[in-house]
Amino acid sequence: MQTLTTLRALAIGTVLIAAAAANGQTERRVIKVNAERFAFTPSRIELIAGEAVDLRLRSDDTSHGFRIMGLDTNVAIPKRGKGEITVTLTIDKPGTYRFECNRMCGAGHDFMRGEIVVRERTAAAPSPRHEERR
Amino acid sequence: MNRLAAAALALFLTATPALAQTPAAPPPPEPAPQSSPLSGYMDFHFNKLERRPGELDFHRFVLLLNHSFSPRIRFVGELEVEHAFVEGLEDAGELELEQAYIDFLLSRSVNVRAGMMLVPVGIINERHEPPVYNGVERPFVDTVIVPTTWFEAGAGVHGEFGRGLRYRAFVMAPLDALEFSADEGIREGRQKGSRSNVRNLAVTGRGEYVGLPGLTIGASFWSGESSFSAPRLDTTVHVGEADARYQRDRLELRAQFAHVSIGDAGRLNQAVQGLTGVSPNIAKALRGFYTEAAYRVWNQGSPRDLVAFVRYENFDTQYRMPDGFQRLPQFDREAVVTGLTYYPDPDVAVKVDYVRLRSQSSVVRDTNQFNVGLGWWF
Repeated sequence: MQTLTTLRALAIGTVLIAAAAANGQTERRVIKVNAERFAFTPSRIELIAGEAVDLRLRSDDTSHGFRIMGLDTNVAIPKRGKGEITVTLTIDKPGTYRFECNRMCGAGHDFMRGEIVVRERTAAAPSPRHEERR
Repeated sequence: MNRLAAAALALFLTATPALAQTPAAPPPPEPAPQSSPLSGYMDFHFNKLERRPGELDFHRFVLLLNHSFSPRIRFVGELEVEHAFVEGLEDAGELELEQAYIDFLLSRSVNVRAGMMLVPVGIINERHEPPVYNGVERPFVDTVIVPTTWFEAGAGVHGEFGRGLRYRAFVMAPLDALEFSADEGIREGRQKGSRSNVRNLAVTGRGEYVGLPGLTIGASFWSGESSFSAPRLDTTVHVGEADARYQRDRLELRAQFAHVSIGDAGRLNQAVQGLTGVSPNIAKALRGFYTEAAYRVWNQGSPRDLVAFVRYENFDTQYRMPDGFQRLPQFDREAVVTGLTYYPDPDVAVKVDYVRLRSQSSVVRDTNQFNVGLGWWF
């Protein structure tokens, strides 16, 4: 009887761990974005609608801005050696969202732009390009 | 054992909610401060050429202005005072409108730009703020082969495809071939958007790949009929250029190659001699290249950023001569530039370098240089 109880407990525990692990797959992706006169790398980011991501922004030179058109995101990226900034982002509506440096950073400032492409979530939606998971 | 199993189950039950939670969100970032409509850069030099007294020169005082009419219509202006004082002649200083354009931002792949624009050739011409390059002065190749800062009136398109494939394609006013010279090549031929003659138009473009962190690979060209002041000539100028930059950890490497061809150079020399009495000995081809390696000796973030670098340059403004003209070997030169760049702040660069300059001439003495510079961006 004792053995049976122990097995039941372990079985329930295993199921709970599996459930927790499955839940862990919804953890936020971390996408590292490098800013340097006059480019963001990557300059094209692909997301699934409703997917939560952390954009980790760092600069290799001066302070840059990071603004996503049509959203509230508008932050300053610290200068080289002064850390990075994380923007947590969940975009529910599929579409293409432009982002740009909105802090004048030099003669080629206006080239410093990119886009976030948000695709609809489908049952068989492939995971976007895997950058890094927390 | 029952108690043990129950305790294990309780542990799972209490632990599971924590495992299932979405990780705690990081603190929200602070909103960006309002970007100032005014920014710029400055370049202050001490130059000591061998056998000459040292000079203090406030080389560049540059202000950049920007304004957004809307999220898709932007203005950028760049106004520069060179050598601190403007008089009638260029040697005394220049006041230059290097950029004044409107960008119509249509899409990622196609945008339209018109006005006074930078020619998209080479590493330095579009990326010339003092903290972004090593050495007190710009590379020689980016002075006498690619005539930076090269700007001209025109219009064109620019954009980006895929993961970091960019292009620029502009139509601009051409060079004025009657101003070319033996020692500085096409440099004095820039019309600079000052009532530029557009009897003929030049086309220029650049493609570059910036899709991998730390790597930039680019190639550019310029092509234009440049003898509008002497219409019977056919002085078409072609500039071809390729460059690469790579940065990883503490190391940065860069290289550039540029080639210029000048059509009908023999008759151009005769035409200029007819006007001035002196043959300018303009070559039919110019060529230059450089490679640079830089290493961040201190890499702790400001104020402990110190970069040591060495650059080898080879540049010849008499590379190929038209028939009947002798090349002047003093303009076939090479330079080794070694120095340090110290960053008390990423936007402030204190520079010191030594330039060992050699030419192929056995008559003209070589002149080495010692330079100290202070440059900043704001």
